[in-house]
Amino acid sequence: MLQFIGPAAGLLFTLQNIIWINLGVFIGSVFAAIPGLSVILCVILFLPVTYRLSAIPGMMFLLGIYCAGGYGGSVSAILINTPGTPHAAATMLDGHPLSKQGRTKVALKIALYASTFGGIFSAITLLFLGPQVAQIASQLGTAEYFMVCLFGLTIIAGVSGKSMVKGIISACIGLWISCIGSDPMTSYDRFTFGVPRLYLGLDLAVCLIGLFALVEIMSRAEDKKEVLHVDTRKMKDDGVLTPDEKKRIRLPIFLSSLIGVMVGIIPGTGASEASWFSYNTVKNISKHKEEFGHGSVEGIAAAEAANNAVTGATLIPLLTLGIPGDGTVAIMLSALMINGLNPGLSLFTTDGDIMYAIMLGLILVNVFMLLQGKLLTQLFAKVVLIPKEILTPIIVIFCFAGAYSVNKNYFDVGVTLVFALIAWILRKFDMPAVPILLGMVLGKMTETNFRRALFISDGNPKIFFSSIYCIIFLLLIIVAIGAIVRSKMTENKAANKGE
Amino acid sequence: MKDLIERIDSGFDRISLRLEDKEIQAPVDLIAGILFLLFGVFILAIMPEQVTVSEKDVVNGRAFPTMLMGLLMFCCVLLIGKEVIRIIRKQPLTRKTINLLVEVKALVIFCILLVTFLICKYTGQFVAGAVFCCLGFLIYFRCKKPAYYAITLVLAVAIWAAFRYLLKVNF
Repeated sequence: MLQFIGPAAGLLFTLQNIIWINLGVFIGSVFAAIPGLSVILCVILFLPVTYRLSAIPGMMFLLGIYCAGGYGGSVSAILINTPGTPHAAATMLDGHPLSKQGRTKVALKIALYASTFGGIFSAITLLFLGPQVAQIASQLGTAEYFMVCLFGLTIIAGVSGKSMVKGIISACIGLWISCIGSDPMTSYDRFTFGVPRLYLGLDLAVCLIGLFALVEIMSRAEDKKEVLHVDTRKMKDDGVLTPDEKKRIRLPIFLSSLIGVMVGIIPGTGASEASWFSYNTVKNISKHKEEFGHGSVEGIAAAEAANNAVTGATLIPLLTLGIPGDGTVAIMLSALMINGLNPGLSLFTTDGDIMYAIMLGLILVNVFMLLQGKLLTQLFAKVVLIPKEILTPIIVIFCFAGAYSVNKNYFDVGVTLVFALIAWILRKFDMPAVPILLGMVLGKMTETNFRRALFISDGNPKIFFSSIYCIIFLLLIIVAIGAIVRSKMTENKAANKGE
Repeated sequence: MKDLIERIDSGFDRISLRLEDKEIQAPVDLIAGILFLLFGVFILAIMPEQVTVSEKDVVNGRAFPTMLMGLLMFCCVLLIGKEVIRIIRKQPLTRKTINLLVEVKALVIFCILLVTFLICKYTGQFVAGAVFCCLGFLIYFRCKKPAYYAITLVLAVAIWAAFRYLLKVNF
């Protein structure tokens, strides 16, 4: 590892990278602060921009958006009692009451410090744990890799949305979409319907803009008229934490960072689960339980540290096994692969200097997030008020420009429209879109490993049960399905009782 | 301009009033199951025509999509089966309320997107589409503040310029 740190630092500390990190952090904070705009939407909108960059600045830009998104969501949660992102919902429970007590700056400060600590803790975990997991991953063959892909898809399909069956249907659609274009092993065309342009397949960024971004625009049809009020005069408190408060937030921040990392490593779980889990854990061990829900500093610290501690941890299965922990990092996988960087041990050996530069960069991202948070919080607070009349067409123009810029043709813009329509119809059926994204990202890898494994075994499917790793992953899949089905049944029973 | 916006506004109001309370209770799981089952059958039916394979291949290019469609159809059967059992037991089906006003509004938004795309494509001028998009959405939101029109149009042109001159995307 040490042999890569020097060259990696040299690659990382360039003016270009610093600019892209700061741009990413700024954009991520702004997007996450605006209710209704998510981090995944932001990453999708700016993904085409990274196609023009090399691996390090491109990843730094996306990681800047991803990490700052964790903090940005807390701004609107604290100020207007509306979480900018779903994972800031736990922050809202105590952040807004503290703001109402005239201590808005204190709440924002705790959120910022906790987010930064969580993020750096997670980045350091990635730096040390990533190469170790990659060593294990290097022992996997094609059959094992197929099982790994299957495991990732099963979990994501299971936890996205209300129904596991619908999640699997969505994942199948995503996997099928990845089959469009040339056959990865024989180069014969598949499902091109006589359209020559489809031989190259559908570009991920183009499809995602339709699936996640334009469909959000269409969902403005469901909006009720609402006016947000932010009184920035409320932010005139001194923002000073008392020595007792400083002491009280230390343990929750550390504990929640640990929880965030552990939750983040598991594919399919994300920042929301981590923030709620750590919020409840810290509440249970706190000596000031009565303050929770009424402006507890520990509550804000717990939720924010956990949701940012997920950021580096989700990259561990992504970079080592190619299994994205959530939808946002799945998009980052495509940004990596477009630069010829494939997940696995080679990423930490052959491409070690680039990989270590990215992992060190994650620490830098959190440092810049802290600096921007300290200097620009007033601005992020005002951003919450940008009216949707202005925001909506601007996002559409970004979507169209982004889709066009991928291959510089309007065919792709048409594809985004088709995907927006498909996503709208899927929403009507309560079909989750994240498994489609995962299917599209993992499609080629899943199919190639499936076919190679069968090719090696001369068509005998026993190869998928032949090694200890295959059996472990098969058992994990069975356990995961069992756990998901059980939790869904419990949820349904609770819902039926409620009715 | 004001007159035009007011006329459009009153037109929208009339349509909204008529559609506001019109709701459809759709059995979504049953429809989704049938729809995706048909999709699976369709893909399997076109597979020989759409996927060329070599006889020598141990596992050809049809194997993976066929397996996927098999799994998809199995899931659809589960979804349909669950609803059929509910019908037999005379339990209420899984339904979703679809509000016609929301659907019409979504259709209007989609039309704005579609026209923006067509303007961009057939004029070859991305900026023309961008300007239409801004005006379309501002009218959709019934915006009456001239400042919003000015800000949005300036931002639209700025985005076009950023892609055109900074990212060298030749629209």
